[in-house]
Amino acid sequence: MISKDLVIIGGGPAGLCAARMAAEAGQSAILIDRNAKLGGQLIKQTHMFFGSEKQYAKTRGIDIAKKLLDDVGSYPELIEVWEDATVVGLYPDKVITVLKQEKYLKIQAKAIIVATGASEKVLAFENNDLPGIYGAGAVQTLMNVYGVKPGNKIIMVGSGNIGLIVSYQLMQAGVEVVSLVEASPNIGGYKVHAAKLRRYGVEINTSCTIKKAIGKEAVEKVVTIKLDENWNEIPGTEKTYEVDAICIAVGLTPLTSLLSMIGCEMKYISELGGLVPVTNKYHETSIDNIYVCGDSSGIEEASSAIVEGYLTGLIASSKLGKKHPKFAELVDDFQSQLENLRNGPFGAKIRQGLKKLGGSVDA
Amino acid sequence: MKANYVIIGAGISGCSIAYNLAAKGVKDIVVVEKDYLTSGSTGRCGAGIRQQWGTKMNCLLAKASIEFFETAQVTLEYDGDIEFKQEGYLIVAVDEEEDEQFAKNVELQKCLGIPAKKITKREAREIVPHLNTDAIVSATFCSTDGHLNPFKMNDAYYKAAKRLGVKFFFNEAVKDIIVKNKKIEKVITTNLEIETNNVVNAAGGYAKEIGTMAGVDIPVYAEKHEILVTEPIEKIQGPMVMSFGKNLYCQQVPHGSFVMGRTDPDVDHNHDIESSWKFLDEMAKTLCEMLPLVGNLRVIRQWAGSYTMSPDRQPIIGDIEDLEGFYLACGFSGHGFMFAPMTGLLLSEIILNEKPTIDISDLHVSRFKHQKEFVLEKSVV
Ligand SMILES: Cc1cc2nc3c(=O)[nH]c(=O)nc-3n(C[C@H](O)[C@H](O)[C@H](O)COP(=O)(O)OP(=O)(O)OC[C@H]3O[C@@H](n4cnc5c(N)ncnc54)[C@H](O)[C@@H]3O)c2cc1C
Ligand SMILES: Cc1cc2nc3c(=O)[nH]c(=O)nc-3n(C[C@H](O)[C@H](O)[C@H](O)COP(=O)(O)OP(=O)(O)OC[C@H]3O[C@@H](n4cnc5c(N)ncnc54)[C@H](O)[C@@H]3O)c2cc1C
Repeated sequence: MISKDLVIIGGGPAGLCAARMAAEAGQSAILIDRNAKLGGQLIKQTHMFFGSEKQYAKTRGIDIAKKLLDDVGSYPELIEVWEDATVVGLYPDKVITVLKQEKYLKIQAKAIIVATGASEKVLAFENNDLPGIYGAGAVQTLMNVYGVKPGNKIIMVGSGNIGLIVSYQLMQAGVEVVSLVEASPNIGGYKVHAAKLRRYGVEINTSCTIKKAIGKEAVEKVVTIKLDENWNEIPGTEKTYEVDAICIAVGLTPLTSLLSMIGCEMKYISELGGLVPVTNKYHETSIDNIYVCGDSSGIEEASSAIVEGYLTGLIASSKLGKKHPKFAELVDDFQSQLENLRNGPFGAKIRQGLKKLGGSVDA
Repeated sequence: MKANYVIIGAGISGCSIAYNLAAKGVKDIVVVEKDYLTSGSTGRCGAGIRQQWGTKMNCLLAKASIEFFETAQVTLEYDGDIEFKQEGYLIVAVDEEEDEQFAKNVELQKCLGIPAKKITKREAREIVPHLNTDAIVSATFCSTDGHLNPFKMNDAYYKAAKRLGVKFFFNEAVKDIIVKNKKIEKVITTNLEIETNNVVNAAGGYAKEIGTMAGVDIPVYAEKHEILVTEPIEKIQGPMVMSFGKNLYCQQVPHGSFVMGRTDPDVDHNHDIESSWKFLDEMAKTLCEMLPLVGNLRVIRQWAGSYTMSPDRQPIIGDIEDLEGFYLACGFSGHGFMFAPMTGLLLSEIILNEKPTIDISDLHVSRFKHQKEFVLEKSVV
């Protein structure tokens, strides 16, 4: 059994930033990620980020990851990084079990920051388990991390920013996007992204969904169908496309199974993407010294994951007795940054979700 | 609301009792359950069914229950599959003492018509080829023992009882039982007040608390038992493999996963059902010694449930002297699933003053008043 006061699970922007602030405060930690490379979602994002300047907007995700990694890398004596290490259990006595390169290890922690990000939502339709059906995140990983084309003719489901951006990236990789379907009557993501797709000749079908996939060993065809204003299928509007891949971009849901396992109080909040832990405004869950930040506390953006990570790292360290020299000033700064990020029309959903969660969280 | 009988708990015991009473023509039966169907120990158990016991009573209860399970799907007119698999229990002896005890057990079992036999290491290996025979001395085997799906089985009882008119209320916890002049008047739940003179306590791990509400002391306590399931693979193991000495049971269920458990000798007496990392460690060590091949599989999930322990590790089934109309079906000490058909039949016979199919006066709670020391059933994990 290894003993460590602070363990951070997940090395995406939230976990990396939590580690950096802990280190700045003089608190040592183990940072664990199941991937061979730290950076979370960022390492597959080759597009310029939206968001505010302070959190690296107009920088490519992959470059933000480099920057955050360098920050953490400058504290080698304090932050121990475990890559290719999956946390498989979180027990009530704060023991973490980890499968690290085929070895099963146990860590007794005093405080734990969970920053495990999100998983992709799936869609229910006939044959949705055929090979060739991917989540948008998986498509991005294949293309941008491993340089593998997911197919030659693809249909995209979902017109949020992820669906739009990934469609564009697919086309850049030489994949034909035969159609983009969206169940709601409106396009979900930014108009600029949608306009760009249209310019490249991709048809965008709103009020439309997938009825079924067809294929023996893998996807060969897909059938779409139109929806009426009550989201009911309109018979006779089926349309069949020949495709060898289907990409599903219908949103993310927080990856909170470890928090459920340890017994944190959870609430289902659709605005935040699903089941999320109840937290106080310092990102502490209903269990003492168990914290959560980033997408695993509610789906937002890299920008808010970064700030939440900083804030949580500060607070967790301070409670362990390592107070950052500029603690009060920084806490104020991060909280007001979060408030700014969630201001305006795009933050409305998040504000509402956080309100449902328990009122004062970061607001 | 009024009811003839209120049954507390919709586990396998409560549902079997409800079905048996209704099948005998009793009307106005209400089952109240604090959570959902099969949410207690029943939905958390290993669901093994065996007749290889060390006491006559357990042998008889198990044998008669197996006979019921064999035709349960038809008897209960269940449209699903209860997944009853009869490929035996292989119980291994790991030292001379067990070897001798098992020889006696098998003699008893044979006398009672149970097709168990004592076998050599080599024969055991023919039945379970991946068994490490270096870890054992001998074994016993009974081919009609087996396993079934606890969710499906309880669903079968539940649906049959419902068809016979039993009313079920879920998310209704019993909060109090009103007793006046040694007679039950009312059962109070989260949202209901049920006027009744008869209550059946089938509350599993909470049987003691239910007793306290009615003012009677039931000498049982709950203790946590942990269990896990692996990824599924093609079929390699027919029977349940069980060792009392090494503290292990392990079987492959029909969809290919292995389900296994063991007992923590230092466990506290309470309602805790949290999983622990300690169990995983110890389970893995024990298993890898006995069934090394299975040690290569990945664990998918672990969970825990309560055993409701009685002082002599035998069930408590029957009425109670101090309170008229109060009936007990509890204290199953880790093997109440396999006895459920008999629990339901026998208690309904007792309630209706019929002659019980099997004499179970030895399972009456009064045995603990007069006797303080007990011969414990040794054949348990
Ligand atoms: C296509 C796409 C485009 C986006 N574009 C933008 C944008 O332009 N601007 C913006 O601000 N945001 C954008 N985002 C959102 C942003 O990427 C996420 O909000 C952000 O990455 C969340 O950070 P995180 O640290 O919470 O989670 P993640 O980045 O998901 O990191 C979580 C990490 O935890 C690890 N992990 C999970 N479980 C375990 C476990 N059990 N054991 C060990 N490790 C584990 C994972 O491997 C992962 O590395 C985009 C997202 C996508 C998918
Ligand atoms: C890990 C494990 C493995 C096991 N393996 C086996 C095995 O292989 N074979 C075998 O035969 N047995 C096994 N058992 C034992 C078996 O599970 C139990 O003996 C059996 O399920 C008991 O059934 P029951 O209906 O009496 O109790 P339960 O299934 O616990 O049902 C009692 C019900 O009462 C409800 N209740 C409690 N309090 C209240 C209240 N106040 N108001 C309303 N409702 C209430 C509970 O919610 C529960 O649903 C195992 C048990 C465990 C934990």
